[in-house]
Amino acid sequence: MSEGVGIWRCKACGAAYFPERLLCSRCHGHDFATERVTEGVVEEITVIRHVLGQTDWQPHRLANVRTVNGLRITVGLRDESGPGTLIDLFQEGNAPFGAAKAAP
Amino acid sequence: MFNNTAIIGVGQSAYVRRPQSGQSTHTFIRDAIVAALQDAEIDASEIQGMAVTSFSLAPDTAVDLAWRLGLSLRWLLQDTNGGSSSMNMLGHALRGVETGAASPILVVAGDATGLGGYAKIAANYNIATREHLAPLGHGGPNGVYSLVTTRQMNKYGLTKSDYGHMAIAQRAWAAKNPFAVYREPLIMEEYLAAPMVADPLTRYDCVPVVAGAQAIVIAHPDRCPKGRAPVRVRAIRNSFNYDNQEGDGLQTGIISFAEELWQAAGVHQSDIDVASIYDDYPAMVLAQLNDLGMIPDHDLAAFARRDIGEKRKPINTWGGMMSAGQPGGPAGGLNGISEAVLQLQHRAGERQVKGARRAVTTGYGMTLYRYGGTAAAAILERME
Repeated sequence: MSEGVGIWRCKACGAAYFPERLLCSRCHGHDFATERVTEGVVEEITVIRHVLGQTDWQPHRLANVRTVNGLRITVGLRDESGPGTLIDLFQEGNAPFGAAKAAP
Repeated sequence: MFNNTAIIGVGQSAYVRRPQSGQSTHTFIRDAIVAALQDAEIDASEIQGMAVTSFSLAPDTAVDLAWRLGLSLRWLLQDTNGGSSSMNMLGHALRGVETGAASPILVVAGDATGLGGYAKIAANYNIATREHLAPLGHGGPNGVYSLVTTRQMNKYGLTKSDYGHMAIAQRAWAAKNPFAVYREPLIMEEYLAAPMVADPLTRYDCVPVVAGAQAIVIAHPDRCPKGRAPVRVRAIRNSFNYDNQEGDGLQTGIISFAEELWQAAGVHQSDIDVASIYDDYPAMVLAQLNDLGMIPDHDLAAFARRDIGEKRKPINTWGGMMSAGQPGGPAGGLNGISEAVLQLQHRAGERQVKGARRAVTTGYGMTLYRYGGTAAAAILERME
């Protein structure tokens, strides 16, 4: 697990992306810098309760999250955070996850 | 406007929830082609062009299919645009006939993935899905469109029962379609009590995967069997990746061409008698109708309750994919076109919309990350 989620930022115009693009959709630049975004606000939530072909599926939560730089990312939600909650983002492999911010 | 080109015949295979031994994508496609050729009164040896789409044709491609069908062609296309593949193929085939590249042209779509095969396709739909969604256990498109549906409910004040009106109305149409896999009546209590699949989507909001195929024949209107009206396409438009996934998914690519489509067709929304709207999820039917300018005041909730629930506006009159079944997204799109043709030729049997002259058909699909990236729409008309 790594802190934050890796995103891509166009070096020419500064537009941010997730997932990765080949060209920037705004300026069509092709050089991107990587950075990590560590926080986002939960917008919508779903619970995946049934999946085709799976017999012992355990329900789990997904959320659409708006990051501080305006990106919308679909994350696996590891707790009961609801819409409007500011959460920490982290990554396992290429997959983004989130959970409520730990108490200071 | 295509003046020298028309859809003259349609055909489909059986639709089944589980393919049986000996049934495959190829055999369903064959059955649909045989039915369409018979319907169009065209001999297979006359076919000069073919367009095909399928998620499960591999490792074969279009030319393999031509070989196994014994078709020697001068025009061939394989489309990969999911739920709008059939609309895309329709446009290419119309231009192919109109310009003299080939005629007649077969347009065919089919799939027989089985549930396990479908799950694998859903998890490997594209690189973004494979790397960023599937590892979350996103459940395929159900997970994606559950979030889109929640956004739509929040934005437009829709309730769960609003979507139920659509499922119930389409099931009532399906009762009159012998090919539909689900034909028994559905009532609101049953809809609301259905098991949750991906909140807020329940069983009746998620299109049932089936095996099956559809085919249509496109040629000069003079080739239409006697006593049957050919169906021409007044206008067709497509959109691919219209907003770079930077919106909320509540508008489809249709919004980018709707005004131009109606102008090119020379008709108004109120001239439409039948609508075939790609229905992988109820929310996307409302989104496409809204983009087409067919929902007054953009009041989706009122439209669902009044126009679909009470008036039973003729939308997805074969039952839609939600009741008739989705043989892969590609073939599902061709089902809507076929139904529009049957309605405009006044051959839809018990579900015939009286005096139908014009129809709108759409396609929508290819979930890139947060929602679909392809969309298309066409205005079809009965030629008198």
